[in-house]
Amino acid sequence: MRIQVGARTDLGRVRSNNEDSFKLVPELDLFILSDGMGGEAHGEVASHLAVESIAAHCQESGQKPDVPYLVSPRQDLNEKTNRLASAVQLANKMIYESAQKHPAQRGMGATVVAIWINDQRLSVAHVGDSRVYLLRSGEFQQVTDDHSLVAEQVRRGILTKEQAESSDMQSVLIRALGIEPEVQVDADEHLLMEGDVLVLCSDGLSRMVSDIEIASTLLSHNGMQSAADRLIELANEYGGEDNVSVVLVRVEPRPEGLLARVWRWLNEPLQTTTSPGGN
Amino acid sequence: MPKLILKFEAAVLKEVTVGPRPVSIGRAPDNDIQIDNLAVSSHHARVFAEESRLVLEDLNSLNGTFVNNQKVQRVNLKQGDQILIGKHHVVIDMGGAAEAPALPDAKKVAAPKVEETMVLDTKKRKELLQQALGAAPVAAAPAPSGGPAGHDKTQPVPPAAPPPRARVATLVIMDGNTDQREYLLSSKLTVIGKSDMATIKLKGWFKPKVAAQINKRDDGYFIGPADKVPTVNGQLIHGPTKLNEGDMIVVAGVKMNFVFKD
Repeated sequence: MRIQVGARTDLGRVRSNNEDSFKLVPELDLFILSDGMGGEAHGEVASHLAVESIAAHCQESGQKPDVPYLVSPRQDLNEKTNRLASAVQLANKMIYESAQKHPAQRGMGATVVAIWINDQRLSVAHVGDSRVYLLRSGEFQQVTDDHSLVAEQVRRGILTKEQAESSDMQSVLIRALGIEPEVQVDADEHLLMEGDVLVLCSDGLSRMVSDIEIASTLLSHNGMQSAADRLIELANEYGGEDNVSVVLVRVEPRPEGLLARVWRWLNEPLQTTTSPGGN
Repeated sequence: MPKLILKFEAAVLKEVTVGPRPVSIGRAPDNDIQIDNLAVSSHHARVFAEESRLVLEDLNSLNGTFVNNQKVQRVNLKQGDQILIGKHHVVIDMGGAAEAPALPDAKKVAAPKVEETMVLDTKKRKELLQQALGAAPVAAAPAPSGGPAGHDKTQPVPPAAPPPRARVATLVIMDGNTDQREYLLSSKLTVIGKSDMATIKLKGWFKPKVAAQINKRDDGYFIGPADKVPTVNGQLIHGPTKLNEGDMIVVAGVKMNFVFKD
């Protein structure tokens, strides 16, 4: 699949240092974003460790398929997704061990979202409240579940989505990298279609800019970099209360060849006869 | 002057001094201490000074008011008492004359601001969720308007029923040319089509590479369109659609029955 990427991170308007990190590995179609936390400059250390160790583990496993998994592979996931989940587990270990070794870093942690595209298959792994969205044929939906207290309460029917969005508890996470020796990693797979746009972002974007505005910005920009720039601008216009980071990945439509056009022409009349929607 | 300190976990959210007027606590915005949580009644409780005492009164709240883990209706408060409302605590600081000068210093040791991201460890998380579950019913549907769901004022709501035992979702091919007659949906992603990555392999000249996809999620199986838009029970789907036992799916000339098998 041909893909186009745009990415940017920004301090925002309130914070004095940027604790977000992202890493693009275009040769693997691997994209990672992390939002660090912890006083002084330790949030930066944590998010940097997260994206670098995930990239390194995936790259290494591509060269040496027998690199061990940190957790036993799950049967319901493909090899790449299991790799990615293992890489996130490794990132947790790296941050946790660094904090154990350096007392000043105690309490540092990070969220992470990582996507890995292999042909039409998308692998997603995440921990925390950074998000992955998918824009497909005009529909915009969140692919990841936030590991925040309010999101968990919404899932359990204790809060409504609206209450969660106005809650003062939004910053309380129930999972993050680097807090405990092991972490539960969410891993999932999706089928990608031509024209899909994937959005990886830190909560500095998702809390400042509404879903509808993110989607309409994507739809009104052909270039993913200019769309990323605009999203950062919007987050800052609305207050820029946190560091803000975004990685955009678009699956470019393949130009249709002659054979494909003939096939489509042959295929379409046949399809309508089987569809109850026709006539 | 006595003070009420609203806390969530270690975080101090608000401090309110008790003056001549009662201090109201509840979910509605007109309260002096507003707690935005469905487990809290709109006007849940109030605290007021009566003669030289500080009194807490529960205002017939749905889920009750607890002082030092005892359910109370009306009680005199003393220094250090902990009121539990929903999952928030209100700590009593009587602000006695002897302590008064020390207070400004004590305040400097501020709990982390909520704007700073904080992470609950596994133990805290379990406690907190258990508490939240105990305080409010688990329901897929939102609570009816006018207040939290549930009718019993004293009995805690029992924890959620355990999930039904694992049954394997299966697609049984009713009609059409595929490489098997039955497929177990054991993967997170199941692709229907002619492509190499397809689990449900379609045969035939004009079949699409990826006709449709089925995603396994925590809350069920969802079928979504790919190169084709499937029908479920004769209806074209709009985006990912949850599958129910017995659903009949048609896509790219193949008819499939979605069932759970033990």
